[in-house]
Amino acid sequence: MASDLQPKPFQKVLIANRGEIALRVIRTLKEMNIKSVAVYSQADRNCLHVRMADEAVCIGPARAAQSYLNIDAIVTAAKMTGADAVHPGYGFLSENEDFARAVAAAGLTFIGPSAETISMLGVKSTAREIAVKAGVAVTPGSDGVVGKNYHAVARKIGFPIMLKAALGGGGKGMRACLQEEDLDRMMSTAQAEARANFGDERMYFEKLILNPRHIEVQVAADNYGHVVAFAERDCSMQRRHQKLVEESPSPFVDEKTRAKLQAAACKVIKAANYRGVGTVEFLMAPTKEFYFMEVNTRLQVEHPVTEEVCGRDLVKLQIQIAQGEKLPLTQQEAAQIKCHAIEHRINAEDSTRHFVPCPGTITEWVTSGGLGVRVDSHVYTGYTIPTYYDSLIAKLIVTAPDRVHLLARSRRALAEFTVSGVKTTIPFHQKIIGNADFIAGNTDTGLIERMLKQEKEDESQK
Amino acid sequence: MDTKLIKDVTDWMKTTDLAEFCYENNGDSIEIKTQEALPEPARFACSLTAVTAPAVGIYRAADKGQSLTLAEGQYVEENAALGLVETVSKKHKITAPVAGKLRVVAAQEGQAVEFGLPLFFIEPQEH
Repeated sequence: MASDLQPKPFQKVLIANRGEIALRVIRTLKEMNIKSVAVYSQADRNCLHVRMADEAVCIGPARAAQSYLNIDAIVTAAKMTGADAVHPGYGFLSENEDFARAVAAAGLTFIGPSAETISMLGVKSTAREIAVKAGVAVTPGSDGVVGKNYHAVARKIGFPIMLKAALGGGGKGMRACLQEEDLDRMMSTAQAEARANFGDERMYFEKLILNPRHIEVQVAADNYGHVVAFAERDCSMQRRHQKLVEESPSPFVDEKTRAKLQAAACKVIKAANYRGVGTVEFLMAPTKEFYFMEVNTRLQVEHPVTEEVCGRDLVKLQIQIAQGEKLPLTQQEAAQIKCHAIEHRINAEDSTRHFVPCPGTITEWVTSGGLGVRVDSHVYTGYTIPTYYDSLIAKLIVTAPDRVHLLARSRRALAEFTVSGVKTTIPFHQKIIGNADFIAGNTDTGLIERMLKQEKEDESQK
Repeated sequence: MDTKLIKDVTDWMKTTDLAEFCYENNGDSIEIKTQEALPEPARFACSLTAVTAPAVGIYRAADKGQSLTLAEGQYVEENAALGLVETVSKKHKITAPVAGKLRVVAAQEGQAVEFGLPLFFIEPQEH
């Protein structure tokens, strides 16, 4: 019975992560007067999260598989240090049901949803079924393998459609079909490819949404059936499914659509019996119709954007929910838009060479500052970026009362950010901020690829 | 050698942040290095082989119902059992990487150890 749960404040929390997110969690723990335990690999001995935590435990060698992904080592470290809860951060084990289960089995609290919820929402088809049952639109499709009547199925979905191999992956046996005239030809080539690659020619169809936006809704749910949804984040600026820029509110979403998005997100979360903070991702067509994609059962990289817009600490909210407290805010409070916010993911990558990672030693590190600027980072002058982990070195979060001022401030903050010793994505962020389509709010998930293509063409004409 | 020149240069260097000074004139040459410019002292060469914790966990000399005493000065064969590190779900055996004399026994029964913590030092030698 949920009502039997008595709120039990944590005394000590272990953070099963590294980098900026480990620091981010430690900061909130300090504010809540909860002791923190950092874990680290041998490559991360000099990391800030090791220094900032109250205690730190070396859990394994540099390779993540033996350290940050080592469930046994992390749970052992938590037991040994007397922690009563584990915060998984994002990435690594944050959406690993076995980890959530192992933490609970050790008598500790996993700060996140239950292992069952993680497992259920981790399977795309199950998550889709939950959304359908909750009355939330999913991308229309054939709902299974198509038979001889595939013309009728395609017509019912409506062109353009995507042809996908049942056993497909990596783009093999996949075709975008814009009109019915091309269907027979595309079906036979896709089937031939599927047969050659997977030994199986069964196909299914999905509606193809041209120039979609990636719109996601941050949610929070407690143990007592209360769910709130925050203002949406627009994460359309991505390259190969890697988000580079996230902003909130979306320049494309109006108030009416916003309310619909929030209602849809809450429906999915309630239907999944979800507990904790999470994100419901949607694909939005240029018509503003939107379709459920998936639920991320973790705190996301871009969560600070929402924190700035609503003025709430989402890590604190996670901890309060995990402690068994009731949601401390109403839907109205969660949905308020106090400012416009944007996040630039600054990676140690060379954007002129296909974003190849550039690990190395940072010889100069001067971050931006001033009004409306927040930098979440674990980097300092002299820090050496290890080759073992991801290349995120900072999140530059900028806020302003409206989007026009936001872009001006973002431009200023990016120009101020000085990094020497490694290549970073800062120059590419400056291009994004100067892009006419971006300035106009005409973003979709293909804009960055178009920008890169244009750049290449401009260079070859020189 | 002009000792006054050396004194003058040394005094002058103290007023700057120079770490090294080289001067050559008609085959005469002087080279002055301040404390900061001196190379790091040679590291102490250790002939002992460290045996480190293979995992984070609790050190036990032996499994339940068994016993093992390890004393400094004792000779151990290569691959000899040196106890184990217990985690929530596993037991990681510790064995001697070389044959030799146990010079340092740092591991204590029931001690919480991190990954990589030195537990023993062995002086490699044939029996």
